[in-house]
Amino acid sequence: MNHSDDLRHLADCASCRQRFSENVLPFDVARRREGARAFAAAAVQMERERENAADIVERQLRQISIEEWPSLAESPALRNNAALEQMSEEVRKRIERKPVEALAIANLAASIAESLPANAYPPEVMAQIRSTALRDRANALRYLGRLAEAFDSIETAESRLGDFPGASHDRAIIWMVKAMIQGQMDLFEEAEQMITSASIIFADVNDLSRFFQAGLVYGNLLGRQKRYDDAQRIFRDLLGVATSTGDEETQARLYNNLGHCAVYLDDYAGANIHFSESIARFTDLGLLAEVPRTNLGAALVLIGKGQVDSGLARLEDARRAFIALSMMGEAGLCALRIIEVLIDRGDTEQARALTGIVIDEFEAAGLDTRAVQAVASLQSSIDADGATGDAVRTVHEFVQRLAADQDQAS
Amino acid sequence: VNVIATETFDPTIVDMTAVVPDCVVDCSIDELDFGRMYEDNLSLLVAIAMRKFQVPEADAEGLAHEVFYSYLKRKNEIRDLHPWLIGAICHASRYFWRQNSRRTEQLDHSWATLLPDPASAAILDLLPAQLAAREILESLPPRYQEILRLRYYEGYSIREIADYLGVTAKYTQKLMAKCLRRAEQVYNAAPARKKS
Repeated sequence: MNHSDDLRHLADCASCRQRFSENVLPFDVARRREGARAFAAAAVQMERERENAADIVERQLRQISIEEWPSLAESPALRNNAALEQMSEEVRKRIERKPVEALAIANLAASIAESLPANAYPPEVMAQIRSTALRDRANALRYLGRLAEAFDSIETAESRLGDFPGASHDRAIIWMVKAMIQGQMDLFEEAEQMITSASIIFADVNDLSRFFQAGLVYGNLLGRQKRYDDAQRIFRDLLGVATSTGDEETQARLYNNLGHCAVYLDDYAGANIHFSESIARFTDLGLLAEVPRTNLGAALVLIGKGQVDSGLARLEDARRAFIALSMMGEAGLCALRIIEVLIDRGDTEQARALTGIVIDEFEAAGLDTRAVQAVASLQSSIDADGATGDAVRTVHEFVQRLAADQDQAS
Repeated sequence: VNVIATETFDPTIVDMTAVVPDCVVDCSIDELDFGRMYEDNLSLLVAIAMRKFQVPEADAEGLAHEVFYSYLKRKNEIRDLHPWLIGAICHASRYFWRQNSRRTEQLDHSWATLLPDPASAAILDLLPAQLAAREILESLPPRYQEILRLRYYEGYSIREIADYLGVTAKYTQKLMAKCLRRAEQVYNAAPARKKS
C-alpha cells in the first residue's frame, strides 16, 4: 500500500494528507464556504458561552437546597451548553461520594437539555447535549443501583445520537456506560460486545484515558465471570500500552488489578509483586490514600483465599497508613476487618483490645455516636461469648452504611 | 468518613466518563480559526469517507460536517486534531453503512472506477479466496446464506442480526457457529481443496 493512503500515516503527515485529498472533491465553493461559516459561527457561540459561564453552576447549586434544585431548570443562565457541561462535571465530581446529589444534578441537566429550543444549536450539537445529560443520569442511577431506570436512560441517550453517524466518540462513551450497566445486570455477553466496540473507537480517536478505562471495565467484566486468565491478559496488554505512554497512574491501577487476578489464580507470589508495584507507583505519584486502599483490597482477597497471615499483614499496613493520613473512618473500618480475622482465629483477647482502641479513635475523631455504640456493643459481645465473625461483619456493614449516609448528608 | 468500595472484583475502577481535559485549552475565540480548520480538513475527511469507505459524495460531505460539529463538544479533551478527525470520520462512515446497508446498490460506482481504492491493489491475491467464499456461500441453504451475508458482507453485529431475525443474541450466536460449521464442511468436501 502506498504510504500516503495509510490512515495512521495521514494523521501525522501534512503533505500526504494533502495528496490524499486532492482531486476527490468536486468543489462547490459556495456550499463549502457556507459550511465553514455555519461551523465557525456555532464554534464561536459555544466558546463565548464557555467563557461567560465561569462557575455559574457551582454557585447556583450552592445557593439553594437540593430539594429546590429542579427549579433551576428555569434559570436562563443555566439554559445553555456551557452550563450543561459544568453540570456534567459536577455529576462526575459527586458520583462516587454523593450519588444522590449527582442524580439530582443529572436530572436537572436532562430536564434543561430536553427542553432547550431545537434551534439553540446545530442538530448534531443538540443531539450530543441531550445524550450527554441522559448518559450522566444513567450513570448516576447506576451508582444508586437503580439499574432498570439506568438502562432506560442510557438507551434513550443512545437513541438521541441515532441519526448522527458523526458523533461516534459520544456514542462510544455511551456504550461504555451501557456496558457497565449491563455488567451490573449480569448481561455479560452484551456488555462485552458493547465495551469492545467502545474500546475500538477510543483507540481510533486517540482517547487514551477512556481506552484504558474501557480496558479496566472489560477486565472487570471478565473477573466478575471468574475468567481471571482472560482478565489478566487484558490487564497485561493495557499495562504494555500504559508503560509505553508513561502513564504511571494507570500502571498503578493495572498492577493492582493484576494482583487481584493473581490471587484468584492462586499465584500468591506474583500477587505480592503486583501489589507492591502498584503501591510503589501510587506512592511515587503522591496518591497516598490509594496506598492503603490497595493494601486493603489486596488483604481482603488474600484472606478470602485463605492466605490469612499475608492478608492480615496488609490490613495492618493499611490501617497504619489510614491513621497517618488522619482517615479515621477508614482506619476504623480496617480495624473491624482485623478484628474479624482475629475472632475467626480465636484470638479474642487481641480482638477485644482492638475494639477498645477503635472506640477511642472514633470518639476522638467525633464520628457518629451510633458507630461508637455499635463497636462498644461488639466489645460487650466479645466479653460475653467471644462473638463471631458474622457479628463483626454486621457491625462493619452498619458503620460503613452510617459513613455513607453521613457522607451523603454532608 | 469515606466509604471504601471493596466488593467488586476490581476496586480500582473510577468513573471517568467525563474526563477532565489534560491538554492546554486555547481560549482565544476566533471565527476565522474555526473556519480555516474546517476548510483545511474538509477535503481530507470527505476523501477518506469516499475513497476508503465508498460513501457517496453528498453523504460523505454530510458525515464530515457532522464530525466537525461533534468536535466542538469534545474540543477541550482532544490532544491531536488529525488522529481524532480521521478516527471519527472512519467510524462515522462505518456507522453510515450499518444504517444504510440496505441501500448498497445506490453506491456511486463511477467514483470507485475512476479513483480505485488503494486497498484494491492486492485484489489479485484476494480474488481466489473471495471466489471460493462466494461459491461456498451459494451452495448453502438460503437462511444460512442470509445470516452469513448479514454478518460478513454487511457487517451487522450479532445483536442486530438477532433483532432482524426476531431471536435472541445467544441463539443467533449459535446459529452463526452452525452456519460457519456448515460452510467449513462444504469447503472441505470440495475435491480440489481436499487434495490441497
